[in-house]
Amino acid sequence: MPETPSTGSGWRIGTSDMVFVGLALGSGLLCLWLGGWASVQRAVGQAGRLLLMVIPQLGAGLLIGGLIQQLVDRDRVTRLLGSESGARGLMLSALAGMVTPDGPFTSFPIVYALWVAGADAGALVAYVAAWSLIGLNRLIIWEIPFMGFDVSLLRFFVSLPMPLLAGILARWLVQVTPLRPDKGPRA
Amino acid sequence: MIWIAVFLWAIVACLAVAVHQRRGRSGVKQGAAFVWKQAKGLSLRLPFALLTAAFLSEALPVEHLAQFIGPQSGVPGLVLSALLGGLLPGGPMTSFPIALVIFQAGAGTPQIVSFLAGWSVFAMHRVIAYEAPIMGWHFVGLRMLACAALPVLSGLLAAAGIAALSLLHIDAP
Repeated sequence: MPETPSTGSGWRIGTSDMVFVGLALGSGLLCLWLGGWASVQRAVGQAGRLLLMVIPQLGAGLLIGGLIQQLVDRDRVTRLLGSESGARGLMLSALAGMVTPDGPFTSFPIVYALWVAGADAGALVAYVAAWSLIGLNRLIIWEIPFMGFDVSLLRFFVSLPMPLLAGILARWLVQVTPLRPDKGPRA
Repeated sequence: MIWIAVFLWAIVACLAVAVHQRRGRSGVKQGAAFVWKQAKGLSLRLPFALLTAAFLSEALPVEHLAQFIGPQSGVPGLVLSALLGGLLPGGPMTSFPIALVIFQAGAGTPQIVSFLAGWSVFAMHRVIAYEAPIMGWHFVGLRMLACAALPVLSGLLAAAGIAALSLLHIDAP
């Protein structure tokens, strides 16, 4: 069962934070090298706008996670979406992923909330796979207008069984590999 | 965008009222304290993550790919498409226009299916900007492994679907 992730109590800078600083520096240098200062400036402006856009939704997402934690019966979520929930749990979370609208700043806080509430790795993976592969919102708003009905629907239908497959695989991987998402965001 | 935020905050308000009714002030306080701890962790990581995503989408050119993933490129083409899709920077706003350019430049339909599925599943920028900071690298690794074969699989299924449609004399995409 996943532990409640902890991020420490103070404003300490951990290894994981340094990884993100390093990634930003590396990609920033690449950007400077390939595109010059103008390109770096565009990217910084873009990131700033994205941050302003994301904060209200991310804040709400985290609060939803924290409040739901106070409300729901952890045992019940574990029964519905935990590692013993079988194919029904995977299908439920895939269905939830399919109808989750909007971008990653909405879906990942929900994944996080489900995790905190007691869903297992298989259900979380099925949710993310469903949201990213067969999300209805994106199909209707983005894919059909750009790619046309034929290609979009073909892609949608062949992708339908994939989230279930990914969930089953994830449950198996949790047992045979050391990859258990129970170490929290700082792992 | 604004309405989604309003909608989410409305949910927050409803949940806060519900928690207050059922568990009183201390329940709300406990929830808020938990969130504050999470937010402090993210406040360091998220800005750098978003910067990385923006730098990458500035630096990497993604056109001129169609020639490698044509209809005759077979399974290697499907694999390459899935990988290229995963490297595609940016959300649907930038990715679908690029996918359309590549498709019109001559990529095969199963290859485009694999390409879009690869983008959906692997999307490096999304992993760096959202998934890793929120869920941690262990989850990222597990999800990547569990989903690794899906894009190529959906490309193969698409090819099979097209073959079946043409057997039935229906115009395939």
